[in-house]
Amino acid sequence: MSTSTTRGKYAVFPASKELGDANKEFLPLIEQGRESFPVHLVNVWVEACHKLANAGYGALIPIAYARYSPKLAVTLQPEAAINLVSLVSLAAIKVNRAAAELLPKAALEAATECKSTTDFSVWQITIEELVHTAPESVLPVLERTKTILSVLTTDQFRSWVIAGLRSTGDDTLRQIQYFSFNDAESEKWFRHEAGDVVYTDLDRRLKYYLKSLWNLRPPIRELSASTSPLSLRRISITNGVVQIPEVFPGFHGEQAELIFRAGLAHVGAHLTYSTKKFALGELKPIQVALVSLIEDARVETLAIRVFPGLKKLWLPFHVAKPSGPKLVPHLLARLARALIDDNYHDSDGWVQKGRDLFLDPANDMTDPAMCRRIGVLLGNDLGQLRAQFNSKTYVIEPPYRDDNMGLWDFGDHQGDEEDNDGIFIEAMRMNEQDDPSNNSPDENKNEQDENVEQQFHAKESESSEECESEIAVRYPEFDYLTGSERPNWTCVVEYFPDYGDSHKINRILETHTDLVNRIKNLIQSAKVSLPERLHHQSVGESLDLDACINAVISRRMGQVPDPNIYSTTERKHRDLSVLVLLDISNSTNDQVPAANTTVLELEIQATTLLAYAMSELDDPFGIAAFCSDGKENVHYYRIKNFGEAYDTNSKALLAGLKGKLSTRMGAAMRHAFRELATQQTHRRLLLIITDGEPSDIDVKDKKYLVEDARKVVHSASRLGIDTFCVGLEAGGENYLHRIFDKKNVVVIDSLDRLPERLPMLYLRLTA
Amino acid sequence: MLSMDLDGYLIKDKPYYSQTHNEIALFEAAAANRMPMMLKGPTGCGKTRFVEYMAWKLKKPLITVSCHEDMTASDLVGRYLLDAEGTVWHDGPLTLAVRYGAICYLDEIVEARQDTSVVIHSLTDDRRILSLEKKNEVVKAHDDFQIVVSYNPGYQSVLKDLKESTKQRFGAIDFNYPDPELESKIIVHESGVDKKIADKLVQISERSRNLKGHGLDEGASTRMLIYAAQLITQGVPLEDACNVALVLPITDDQDVRNALNSAIAACT
Repeated sequence: MSTSTTRGKYAVFPASKELGDANKEFLPLIEQGRESFPVHLVNVWVEACHKLANAGYGALIPIAYARYSPKLAVTLQPEAAINLVSLVSLAAIKVNRAAAELLPKAALEAATECKSTTDFSVWQITIEELVHTAPESVLPVLERTKTILSVLTTDQFRSWVIAGLRSTGDDTLRQIQYFSFNDAESEKWFRHEAGDVVYTDLDRRLKYYLKSLWNLRPPIRELSASTSPLSLRRISITNGVVQIPEVFPGFHGEQAELIFRAGLAHVGAHLTYSTKKFALGELKPIQVALVSLIEDARVETLAIRVFPGLKKLWLPFHVAKPSGPKLVPHLLARLARALIDDNYHDSDGWVQKGRDLFLDPANDMTDPAMCRRIGVLLGNDLGQLRAQFNSKTYVIEPPYRDDNMGLWDFGDHQGDEEDNDGIFIEAMRMNEQDDPSNNSPDENKNEQDENVEQQFHAKESESSEECESEIAVRYPEFDYLTGSERPNWTCVVEYFPDYGDSHKINRILETHTDLVNRIKNLIQSAKVSLPERLHHQSVGESLDLDACINAVISRRMGQVPDPNIYSTTERKHRDLSVLVLLDISNSTNDQVPAANTTVLELEIQATTLLAYAMSELDDPFGIAAFCSDGKENVHYYRIKNFGEAYDTNSKALLAGLKGKLSTRMGAAMRHAFRELATQQTHRRLLLIITDGEPSDIDVKDKKYLVEDARKVVHSASRLGIDTFCVGLEAGGENYLHRIFDKKNVVVIDSLDRLPERLPMLYLRLTA
Repeated sequence: MLSMDLDGYLIKDKPYYSQTHNEIALFEAAAANRMPMMLKGPTGCGKTRFVEYMAWKLKKPLITVSCHEDMTASDLVGRYLLDAEGTVWHDGPLTLAVRYGAICYLDEIVEARQDTSVVIHSLTDDRRILSLEKKNEVVKAHDDFQIVVSYNPGYQSVLKDLKESTKQRFGAIDFNYPDPELESKIIVHESGVDKKIADKLVQISERSRNLKGHGLDEGASTRMLIYAAQLITQGVPLEDACNVALVLPITDDQDVRNALNSAIAACT
């Protein structure tokens, strides 16, 4: 501070050499800014400004700081304004000058939206973390500070940022997209944090609704990231798969639930009544739109005949009014309303004509051909009116209705010159691309349609999803940073495992004869099955009537009565089901020198012996294996289901296991627990065999998956399911103890002894 | 020739029962041969009512035992009790039916422990005897004695299933919910509600039966529909009645409740 002179009690700095001409702007700002700080902090602030000016970041950063920090001091707190300087210089070093320059302004915006200094410090910490972990994304976030914080609290903002970092992993490009809101995930989690109702919140109940009302179980997927703005997205049915937007913007709370429900009820009506596809033929886009609209009205009319209550559900979304400009989209919305709302009056001749044609008693409502006839007629009328229709911008109204793409058979049209079909064809093309399995639509179409048909009309005999060979289930994941579960975060996909040689399993048993014999002996003693009810007890919860009578008889005969007059029940038989979950991540391919084979091979050997013990004991058991390839693709393989025999088939599947990918343990365990929870035995046990720390390709933060797994184990134990872990990595105690609790972990140090240890461990554990 | 003992077990008034297939004729044929019968079907579809109806029709007394897992063989067969003089034997419900010729109806027999249900073995083959070991007596079954059990396959699990040797002693009739038309007629009869409302209730029941295996273990039974209808005749609005009688009892899952209530709203 030797360079400073004193003016009154304030420190005065000379003009900064670094700033040059910019001093003209910088120094007056400092003069002004002084006023905003209390006496004891003025010097600190001024010094901070000058440090920034002399740090070599250029002129703009110190000027921005000198301009906005005094306002921040007034709005929020002088200390906060001064503390900001370190974040500004951090941003200048780690990110770039643009971000650092924007930071003071963004901080002021944040402070304006924040209620308290605590809120503000949450914002500041979040930005700081972002500077460290995803510097490229700092600028997009700062630019949107005001917009974001006008919707989210700073805590929610932090959760949204963390969700972004978690879901994008190391991918810088995706991070930038996420934080610039150019990513569907971003919008989804933003809505989630804002408390908006998103589809995933309702997924379960809406699926039940569809099943209950229409007895349909079509696969429902969230609409993948699309180029169209969210407000223009509609439900879409393609090849029997229902794609649904994550949110309907503008619909909140109750309303949001209603529009999703209305949408799915409409989908149900299509799937039930729109049995045949319309051939596109030579129809003009406006005719296509009209035929679709009338088909919508037709299926809804049929649906309302059966379920009158659906009218109450659908009508509120028809908000078209009989006034306003006669633009085609508006007329279409009016017609849509006229066809379903009996109390709606429209003076427009074209709308009236449409309604009369539709309501003509001679129509056969069950025949879609009427839609084509009326649609073509009405389309011609519009053509004569020279009304303009732009199929590229046309969006179906009301928003609960689907885009009707599924109604049309596009024949050979896709991919060729047809441009005038606009949005329909384009959207169709998009969908073709989205679906990699659909590479030759012409050949496969019929076959696929049939398959899909079978999928939807869930047969009564089908117990649940388990019947399908590959199913995907979404699970939440726990984030220790936010202390909450993020819903539907991971996706566990069940793949059908490869077959191996079942003889291999039998050979394992043969080579371990002495071990098998020892297991046999142990099983004999473990297999105690006594009657549950014990009579003639000295204590018990109920009287043993027969013993009582004998006692009274003895008394009458003048003898000493037997005091054992109670009965009690005790469970002495084994009542236990076990699910063995094998970690088959890539690291299980490592060689174990002592055994001259791989970790996975030892896992298989151990499981073979264990399965032998379990089947001899008649314990209901299942075997499954898992590995993971990012949060969207956690592989789960069923080797043996509960209730299935342990036969050649499951042995072949066990023998066929191959080590690959990573270890997202929590998601796999959630899936396993879901299955165990349906078991009706007294004790339920998940026995997990793993060789390494939970990890996945899209997770940098090692603690994250450990904490998630720990959470899963805890919630399972609340359901009365026990978990036991066999660790195969020396030194794995650290995280395994954290996840499973010390008493539920055994780490096997000499891996070659695993096949021997595992069945013994099991017998001891379950004795 | 009926002993005075069983007069109380005779069904005086004709129970309402509406045949769904040909179960009445089948049962009559089985009863003519005193063949042990097993009635299978979901809860609340009319099994118990059917037995009552058949007992009335065949003019036989009906002794019903609801089985439970703590039931012992002596609960069925009988036991010694004390009186002022000494011990007296007291026939259990099964012995009573065997001795004096009644239909003995063991409701939900899987609920009883397997070792309990074994006592009926000697009664359900050509021996038709019941041995009272404690009393040192062998009771030969009365000519009119017939045993009927009900069995709900929905509860089937490894833990609760009949022994193979027990199962094979019975003829079985499969029951299910009646066809919509008939079910509606039954609801009208039992509750006095309008046919239109009964139809609506039947339509609603189908919504709930669609969820069987997908959130529900069992859909709404005919009995539940009758309860709902009875509430409606007391002036309860349809949606409330359905919520009370059809939704709340069968599930505690909020999502399933929500789905069911919305589906019910769609029907009305």
